[in-house]
Amino acid sequence: MSDGLRARLRAPLPARADLGDVLSTPWATLGAAELARRPVAVEGHGALTVGDLFDLGGEPQGRIRFEGDLAEADRLGARLSEGEVIVEGNLGREAGLGMTGGELIVRGSAGPQAGARMRRGLVVIAGSAGSHAGAGMIAGTVIVFGGIGAAAGLWSKRGSLVALGSVTVPPTYRYACTYQPVHLRVTFTHLQSRHGLPVEDRHLMGFYRRYSGDLADLGKGEILAWTPE
Amino acid sequence: MNLRGVFIEDTFAEAFTMRVARIIITARNERWAREAALKLTGFATSVIGCKCEAGIERLLGSGDTPDGRPGVSILFMTMGKDDMGKRLIERIGQTVLTCPTTACYDGLPGVPDRVGVGSALRFFGDGFQASKVIAGERFWRIPVMEGEFLVQEKFGMQKGVGGGNFLILARGADAALAAAEAAADVMSSRTGVILPFPGGVVRSGSKVGSRRIKSMIASTNDAFCPTLRAVTASALPDGVNSVLEIVINGTDADAIAGAMRVGIDAACQEGVVSITAGNYGGKLGPHHFHLRKIMAAEAPA
Repeated sequence: MSDGLRARLRAPLPARADLGDVLSTPWATLGAAELARRPVAVEGHGALTVGDLFDLGGEPQGRIRFEGDLAEADRLGARLSEGEVIVEGNLGREAGLGMTGGELIVRGSAGPQAGARMRRGLVVIAGSAGSHAGAGMIAGTVIVFGGIGAAAGLWSKRGSLVALGSVTVPPTYRYACTYQPVHLRVTFTHLQSRHGLPVEDRHLMGFYRRYSGDLADLGKGEILAWTPE
Repeated sequence: MNLRGVFIEDTFAEAFTMRVARIIITARNERWAREAALKLTGFATSVIGCKCEAGIERLLGSGDTPDGRPGVSILFMTMGKDDMGKRLIERIGQTVLTCPTTACYDGLPGVPDRVGVGSALRFFGDGFQASKVIAGERFWRIPVMEGEFLVQEKFGMQKGVGGGNFLILARGADAALAAAEAAADVMSSRTGVILPFPGGVVRSGSKVGSRRIKSMIASTNDAFCPTLRAVTASALPDGVNSVLEIVINGTDADAIAGAMRVGIDAACQEGVVSITAGNYGGKLGPHHFHLRKIMAAEAPA
C-alpha cells in the first residue's frame, strides 16, 4: 500500500494554529493540491491554508502523515470520519475532537482533550496525553501509551479509554474487575502490524482494571487501566 | 492405471457447489481452541442429516490469528446461502460462545458476500454488549461470566465444493482401515480442504434414494457392500471384503484435486485392490474429479 499523502511543516508554527477544518470533511481521495487549499486559522495571522504551512506530497490513499513539531497545532483530526492520520511528533489540544471514524495515530504526546467527544474511531497517543483525554466520548477508543492527565474520560457515555501508563480514574467511574480484554489484543495486533507502534508483550498479554463510567452520565463507557496485576 | 499394485479405476468423483465460510477460533491455549472447534464441527458430517458440513482445516500458531493467540481454522459448508447464517449463529452461539477463553473471527475477510453472525449473537448480552470497530471491521464484545466473548459481526461466504471422494477397495477390513488412515493423515492438514466425516473416513457410503422407502433421500450403497455381493448388483471385484470412502470438501476444485492426489497415493498400499470414486453419472454435480487424470498430474505443492 502507498504511504499516502505527506504533510511536512515548512517552518515552526508562529503561534497556536487551529487545524480543525483540515480533515473534518471527506479527504481520503483528495490530492495534495486540493488538501493544500483547506483553511487553517493561526492566532494573530488570520486565515491561512494548509499549503501556507505545510509542504504536501504523495498520493491520496486514505492515509496522511504529518511531520514537524505540531505541539501548537490544535484540533487536528476534529470530526475526522475516515482514513488514517499519522502524526510523527507531538500534537496540541483537542486532537480528534468529535471524530466519527478513522484512525488518528500520534507518535508523540498530545495536549488536553485528546479524543474528547468522539463518536467512533480510534485515537492512539504513543506518548502522554493531557487532561480530559476522552472526555465526553460517545463511543470509540482512545489508547494512551504514556500517562494521562486529570479528568480522564469525564462525562463519557460509551467508548473505551485505554491507559497503558498512569491514570487517575475519576470518582464517577466504578471498578468492575481485572481481566484480559481480547479486543485489546486485536487492536494492539493491528497497531503493531499496520503502524509499527511499540506494543509490548505486557500490553498484549497483560491485565487491565476495568472501570465503568462515567456513571454521572450514561455509564456505558470504560477506562481500561493496564496493571502489573 | 496401476499404482504400486493398486488398480485405479477409470472413473470420476462427482461433487457439488456448496457455500463455504472459514471460521477462526482462538483461545488462551491450543487446548481450548481445539475444544471449541471440535464441538463446532461435531455432528457436521453431511448435509443429508446435519444441515451443514464442517471440519478443522488446520491449527494456527499465535502469529497467524487476529489476536495473537493459538487458534484453529475451520471450513464450514452449507448447500444454500440462507442456511449459512442460521447454522453459524446456532453453532457458534452454542459451542464457541460457551467455551472458556475463546474468540471467533471471520477467516474470509476479502469476500464480498457476508453473513451476520456477531450481529445476532450480541443479543445474548442483554443490552450490556458493546461493539468495537477495529481496522474497519466491527466486533461484538459480549459479557459472559468468565469475562468477555469477542465475535466478529460478519463472516465471509463464498462458493465452495463438497462431495469430492474416493473409495478404497481392500481385501480385508484391516487393510482398508490402514489405507484410509494413511490417506486421511496426509490430506487433513492441507489448506483449503476438510474431511468432514469421523477421522476423515466414511464406512457408510450412500446411494441416492431408497429401493423401498420413497421418502428417504439416501440409503446404503449396496453395490459396494461386501455382505450383499451375492444378492445385489455388486460393483466389487473378486477378493474385496471391505470398502472405505474418503469424502473431501474444499474452498475450490483445485484444493480438492490436490488433496485427492496425495490421499490416493497414500492409500495405495498392501492389501488394497483398487481405488474408485462415487458419481451419479455426471448429471448432478458440476465438478468431476477424474481419478486417472488427477494421479497423472504433477505432484501438487
